[in-house]
Order: sequence, then C-alpha cells, then structure tokens
Amino acid sequence: MTFEERALGAGAVPSTASRRRFQRWLPVLVLLAPSVLFLGLFTYGPVLRALWESLVVGRLAGDHALGFGNYQRLFADPHFSRAALNNLVYALGTIVPSLLLALALALALRETNRFTAMLRTLVVMPMLIPLVAAAALFTFVLLPGDGLLDFYLHKLGLPMINWLGDTNLALGSVIAITVWKNTGYYMLFFLAGLAGVPQDLVDAARIDGAGAWRRLRSIVLPLLGPTFGFVVPIALLNALTQVDHVVTMTQGGPSDATNLLLYYIYQQAAQNYDAGLAAAATVISVAALLSLSLISFRLIERGVHYES
Amino acid sequence: MTEITRRTALGGALAITAAAAVTRGALAADPIEIDLFFPVPVQGKLADKMKELIDRFNEQHVDIKVTAVYAGSYDDTNLKTRAAIKAGKPPAVALMSANFIREYAINGDAEPFDALIEKDGKTASTYFDNFWPALKPNAVIDGKVYGIPYQNSTPLMYYNVDAFKDAGLDPEKPPETWADWVDAAKKLTKADGSRWGIMFPGTYDYCGWLTSAFVMQNGGQYYNHDYGGEVYYNAPSSLGALTLLDALVNKAKVMPPGVSDANACTSAFFAGRLGMMLLSTGSLSFVRDNMKSPYKVAFLPKAVRNAAPIGGGSLILPKGNTPERQAAAWTLINWLVSPETAGEWSRFTGYFSPRKAAYDLPEMQKFMTDHPDAKIALDQLKFAAPWFDTFNTVAVRKAMEDQVQAIFSAKVTPADAVAAAQKAADELLRPYVDQTALKAIG
Amino acid sequence: MRADGRLWAMLAASAAALLWVVPFAWMAVASLRPGVPPDIASLAPSGPFGLGNFAEAWKSGSFPLWYLNTFLMCGGILGVQLVTISMAGYAFARLAFPGRDLIFSLFLLQLLLIPPLLIVPNLQTLVSLHLYDTLPGIMAPYFASAFGVFLMRQTFRSIPRDFEEAAMLDGAGVAILIRRVLLPLARPGLIAFAIVSVTAHWNEFLWPLMAVSSPKNQVLTVGLSTFASGAEAGSDWGVVAAGTFFVAVPLLILFLVFQRRFISSFVSSGIK
Repeated sequence: MTFEERALGAGAVPSTASRRRFQRWLPVLVLLAPSVLFLGLFTYGPVLRALWESLVVGRLAGDHALGFGNYQRLFADPHFSRAALNNLVYALGTIVPSLLLALALALALRETNRFTAMLRTLVVMPMLIPLVAAAALFTFVLLPGDGLLDFYLHKLGLPMINWLGDTNLALGSVIAITVWKNTGYYMLFFLAGLAGVPQDLVDAARIDGAGAWRRLRSIVLPLLGPTFGFVVPIALLNALTQVDHVVTMTQGGPSDATNLLLYYIYQQAAQNYDAGLAAAATVISVAALLSLSLISFRLIERGVHYES
Repeated sequence: MTEITRRTALGGALAITAAAAVTRGALAADPIEIDLFFPVPVQGKLADKMKELIDRFNEQHVDIKVTAVYAGSYDDTNLKTRAAIKAGKPPAVALMSANFIREYAINGDAEPFDALIEKDGKTASTYFDNFWPALKPNAVIDGKVYGIPYQNSTPLMYYNVDAFKDAGLDPEKPPETWADWVDAAKKLTKADGSRWGIMFPGTYDYCGWLTSAFVMQNGGQYYNHDYGGEVYYNAPSSLGALTLLDALVNKAKVMPPGVSDANACTSAFFAGRLGMMLLSTGSLSFVRDNMKSPYKVAFLPKAVRNAAPIGGGSLILPKGNTPERQAAAWTLINWLVSPETAGEWSRFTGYFSPRKAAYDLPEMQKFMTDHPDAKIALDQLKFAAPWFDTFNTVAVRKAMEDQVQAIFSAKVTPADAVAAAQKAADELLRPYVDQTALKAIG
Repeated sequence: MRADGRLWAMLAASAAALLWVVPFAWMAVASLRPGVPPDIASLAPSGPFGLGNFAEAWKSGSFPLWYLNTFLMCGGILGVQLVTISMAGYAFARLAFPGRDLIFSLFLLQLLLIPPLLIVPNLQTLVSLHLYDTLPGIMAPYFASAFGVFLMRQTFRSIPRDFEEAAMLDGAGVAILIRRVLLPLARPGLIAFAIVSVTAHWNEFLWPLMAVSSPKNQVLTVGLSTFASGAEAGSDWGVVAAGTFFVAVPLLILFLVFQRRFISSFVSSGIK
C-alpha cells in the first residue's frame, strides 16, 4: 500500500463501491473545502459576477437588458481609453526602470558586508510602508514652491515646477513614486537569484578573458531567467493594482493625466454609480492582466537557461 | 430565620428589584442612537468644533444620542452615504454638499422634509423663508424640500496689502472688473517668480465651482438651474470665461501653470508669494489665523455682472431610516440650524449662516463689526447664484474641469475646450434626458 | 581595473541609496519641528525642535483605534490563513487525487486575481452577506491564500516522510498529522508566510477604504489618508510627517530588528 493510499484511509473496512469512493476522497474534500469556499466567494464568483453584470446591468437604476451595451459605452468612453493608454505608459515606465535599477543595485551590492547591508536596507525601506504613506510624503516632496524638490531646485536657480498639477508631468511623478516604492522589493529577488549563480562559472569566464558585460550577458542573465520569470508578472500585477497614490494625490487628474484602469473602475463604481460600466471595465482589466501575464511568462520561459 | 420568613424576604427583595427596574426603565428609556455623517471640506479645525457641538446637543437632549462621524471631503461623504444607504445602514442625517442633493432626489435616496415640516405646523415655502433665497434651487427640488442648508460659502478674493503697496496699487480700491483684475495681477507678478499675481485652486470640485463663477460673471447661466439634463458649456459666456483663464496662465502669465490645490494657494499667500487669492469664504477663519501680514478681502471681479456661486452643505435625510430615527434627526437638524447654533458655527468657521435670523442676534452683529472681512463676505450674498447640480453631477462637472485643467497646462485652446466639454457632458446626460425631456409620448 | 569597477559601482549604489532615503529623512526631520516654519522643506534646519507635532497628530487622528483595527485585521487574516493554507497545502503535497494539478493551477490563478481588482463584485458580496462596514468583511477576501498554499506545499514536500509514516503507524489521522507533526516542522515556512502576509495587509488601502464607511472600522492606511490629505491638516506638514511616522514606523522597526528573517521571507516566496 502506498503512503498516499494509507493516508486516504485505504485498508479500512470494505463497503459498497460508492461509499468507498466517498470515503476515499473525503479527506481531500475536507482539506480543500475552506480554501475553495473563500476562493469561490471572493475570487472566482466575483469574476463571474462581474461578467454577468457587465452584460446585464443598465445605466439607470433598475435598468436590465442583456447585451453588449456596457462594452460599447466602455470603448466609446474617452476616459477609459485614456486610462488604458496611461496604464500602458505607467506599466512600461515603472517596470523597466525599477527592474533595471533593482538588477543594477543587486549586482553592485551582492557581496554581504556591513556597508552593503546598510545600503540594501535603505533601498528596501520603501517596500515596508503603505503606498498611501509614501503618497503623503511625496505630496510634500512634490509640492510646488514650498516642497522638498522645488525648495532645493530653487537654490540651484530653477523656477517653481508643479510636479503633480502639470498635465505633462503628473504621470511621470506618479511613476517615480512607484519606482521608488518597488525597486527595493525587486532587488531582493535579484539578490537571491544572484546568490544562486555559481561563482566558479563566473570565475572561469573571467579567466578566459570575458569582460564584465560579457559575463553579465552570457552567464548571469540567463541564470537569472527564473527570477525574471517571477518578478515580471509581479511587476505587471503591481502596475495594474497599485493606484493608492492616484486615489489620494491626484484623483486621476489633472485632466485625466493620471487616470489608470483600476482608478477608472473605482470612479465608475464609487462616484458615478455606473455599476454596469464598472463591471465591464473589471472584466477587461482581468482579461488584460491574465493574458499579459501568460505572454510574459511564456516569453521568459523561452529565454531561460536552466542549469542542469 | 424560618422558612417562611426567608421566602418572604427573598420574594420581597425580588419584588423590590423588579419594581426598581421597571421604574428605572420608565424614567430613562434608552436614548435613541443616531449618527451624523459630516465632511470637512475646508482648512481649519472643523471636525473638533462639530464634535463639541454634538456633545452639547447630547447633553441637552437626554433622549437622543448622536454620534458625529467625520467622513472626509464632500465627495468622500457622498460616497460613504451612498454606500451606507445601499448596504441598508444609512446614517440618520448627512451633511451633504449642496450640489449633490438633486441627484439624491432623482434617485430616491433621500426623504423630503415636507411631512416633518408640516407636522410642526408650517408649509415648505414658509419654512424656507428662514433661509437666504439663493440657496433654494439647490435645496428645493420639484417643489419638495430635500436639503436644510447648514453652512454656506461663496468664493472670495483675499489680497495681500503689502504686496499691493509694493506694486503701486491702492489697497483700499481692489480691482472690480476683469480688466482691472488682470492689470493689477500683472503689476503684482514678479518676473523672477518670487510673487504671483493670482492663484486659485484648480483641483476637482473647486475648479468647477470657480469656473461657474467666471461664466456667470460673464452673463451666463452655465447650466439649467431647474432641470438636471442641460448644461451650457459651449455658450459664448462660457467660452469668454475660459478665454480669461487661458489668458491668466498662458498669455499674461499672472498665474502659475498647472493645477494648484488649496494648500499650495494658502502656503503661497501666507508666505507672501501671492498677491491675490480666490478661496472659499469657508476658509476665512483659517486665513485669519495663519496670515501674519495685513490682508483684506473683496468681491470677485465682474465682467457683465457680479456673481458668486454658493457652495456649502445642507443636511439631508437619507432613505431607509425608521420614523423614530427620522424624528430624532429632525430634532437634531432644527437645533443645528437654530439662529444661535448656526451663528456660532458661522463665526467659528467663516462659513456664512444660511439662517437669516442668525444675523439679528447681538453676538453676530458684534462679530460683523469686529471682522469686516466676514461682513464683506455676507454683502456679496446679494450676488449669490446657485451651485452647479445636474444628473450625474460629478462626472458632468468633471467634463468641464478636465478641459479647464488642460487649459492650465496649455494643452487645449478655449474653443476646443468648450466644444469637448459640451460633447462629453451631453453624452453623460443622455440617459437621463432620454427618460425625461426626450421621452417618447404617444 | 576590477577594483576601479567595484569602486564606481559602490559609489553609484551609495548615491542611489542616499536618494532613496531622502523622503524618510525629511519625515524624520520635519516631524520634529513644531509650528509652521517657512522652510519646512529643509533637510538640515537649525530651527526649534520639539515633539509638538507628534502630540498634535496623535490628538487629531485616532491612532489607537487605527492601530487596534489594523492589528485585529492582520491577526485575523493570518489566523484563518494558517488554517486554510496548511489544510490545502497538505492535500496538494501529499495526496493524489484526480485533477490535482489542474485544481492547483486554478488555485495559483488567485495570485493574479487579487481583491483590489475585484472590488466591485466583492463589495456586492459583502453587502449580501451583511458584512459591509465590518472588520470581518475587510478580512474575508484574504482568507484563502494561493501564495500560502503554494508555500505550504513546497514546505511540506521538503519534510522527509519518515515523521508522518511513524505517526501514521501510531494511528494518527490527517488532522493530528498536520497539527502535531508537520506544522511544527514547517515553522520557518510559516514564519516567512506570516511576515509576508502581515506586511501586505498592514499596507492594504483601496479595499479597506471601500469596505467600511464608519470611522470606528478604519485601519491605519485609511485613517492616514483622511488625516494627511484632508483639509484639516491644512498646510501643517510637520504634523502630516508625524502622522505618517506613526503609520510607517511599526513595520520599519520590525524590519530593522528581524532584517534577515524579513529578507529571506520575501525572497523565499519567489524560489521555485
């Protein structure tokens, strides 16, 4: 009898086939039941519910009609297309710099000594505070005129800049806050990944005359493949779900410049009471997230070199 | 003790305890507990003051226990109240931004006060005579009273006396027309950026409020005051107003580019880096407490006429409360808008009291004499106009605000801005219009 | 050449780290400067220092209440999670049943479908369950944790089967097996999970914001946002800094004390 069979209670008193089957799977059902219950209530059920509502709920209270009306309105809404475009820019603007910075910092700080430990801590600290706390701090940092940045830029002779109130700069400022917050977190993963790169391989390459770039490209990066495979979907997820600073600092403005998909959903639901539109936008965002994650995962898997 | 005596003693003790309980119950019925959602939309220590008032109410009314719930900004309070109504746990009273009340009426989320007013022996119209007439369009919807005005404000111009003198302007004669205003601003603005001529908040809500002020000063209506389905964003009066805003930031350059929030404006004003500031009268006390150099206040400048939209909040009765809660809420509301309490709140905050009788009380008259700035705010009331409110007010309001914010960043011309705003607003208003003005008949 | 390269790298990293810490430095400095000094932005002021801002922030906010709610929320979530993930983790680690891999993948999908994304339908669920505006309502969507199940599966698999076999020979059922044998051996994994879970939920904002309306149910993040961006704070940035300090400091202190644990927890969450 195998371990599994014994754990599942095989070898118990034999009875009718169906009862035996039930007894056999009972432990599994019981063990999985709580998780499945909550997943059903708060993950899968909601997705289905959003799907249903997006196809059924109308604009005014009590309106019900099956159709794609909400999706038509969604795609015709300039706020939605702007939010989607902004989110794309936001995703690229946060993922690429924070991953590059995280990798660079991990490479620079891969040795462990008191000095590097201190530097690592300083970069990791933003990860531990809530994004709204970061927003509170940065509201001051970016305050036009009296804020930290403008205060010191003024000493260099530069004029007052309205970082969050200028439609050209607002999204960039929001991106900067996100990069500040997440880089340390991603750096931790790269540090762990680098620790897994065998030093003898690197040393051998150096002896062979390979320069630092070459070593990086041919040995270190491929071996970091699995790390990228993990970090990129997380960064993608963050790009779609980290909107706390938009909620508290800019409310999507000025003039839609910082409107993001999740914020758009929040607005439709909470401010405009447009449940159908909010549901449709939820469905689209979930679909986008799932497909982008799948694509990025596949791409990275293809480029990964596993050390055998 | 014998058995009988013990039993008697026990029985007696029980009887006495029971009697005491019944009496106590009859004398002091549990107070009915109600909650009040209130916002703090302007700078200052308003939350503390509201709590103080509520504590006093609770002391004076032992049969009612009110919990004052601070709910953030006007927009936040609206969200929370709507969510609570939907979840079946509405607050008994909410202090709602005056321009959201129409939508509560349209959606049936608030109860009209008419029944309660009539029970007191008055009619809706005579009851409303207690309040300034400009407040009526936002509070009386389809002939029914949905909001009891509690705190009101208009925008006001605050200006730095020293800056005026420094720029060669006479502090006793603030600019009265748009042209004079821009002229003064040009003189006040320093080329090195150390002082700006004009600043006002351009964030959502404030932006729309001030834009409606400019449009109305330019002769326009801005929106249909009696019907929530029409806005006049692309009328000539609106275009003229947006052209002025464009000139302030991009041509005359007397106002900093981009969107400034209220804190940025007051910070600049207090630091002496701003000549003239447009801000709510609701911030009168806050400015008085924090502005260390001499300053004065004046009416907003006019083009065709003077106009100052009212802002502020009214007390509403959310739907879903039991008659007992409603009755308790009505007691609270009447206490809050009594001339004494309304006057006290007005003096503390800088809001003006919507209750006319408050200004007849001696404390208020003394206050007006001691604080000419509050007097000027009150005087501007004769030019008061109603606050923008339509179906789906926030989104329709933002349709214009997004364009104005874009003008502040020089991203769109005024002509394109008004066209885009009107188009977006019409789209948002269509579901309501289809059901009302355009409803097919026959 | 090599030494030079390393030196440049160190200098660049130091510059980056210094830049990164600036907002925290300002928070520390500004919170110690009561009143409203005109150069509140200065990182090296000479002005009067004092604890007035902390007193003011503590008074204007409801920090004790927010701390309590946040503790209850994080603790409650963690408690239920530990139960659900050890049960499900065991099933996936040790038991064979049809469709196991498919079901596990469906579980993993939850890593992407996080509650803030599904705010709209989740709020409706809360209302129908009469959990709107309650602390359990905030906690409920997090009770099932795909990450935790994944971690537990990993951890259980790495425990040699001898312990379980011995226990089973003694007649232990599944429940005893998990509670008495496996969980104690899985402590490092559990601690790692606890750290990640508490940190994530301590910092959660949008969902707690939407799920409650009464101030008595507010958690630290929601409280801070009304406190800092509210008009009440006005332009008193020293007080805002002090308030932010109250919210940020607990996790920062825990991190500085348990640095290695923290780092290895977050990192182990990625190791496949």
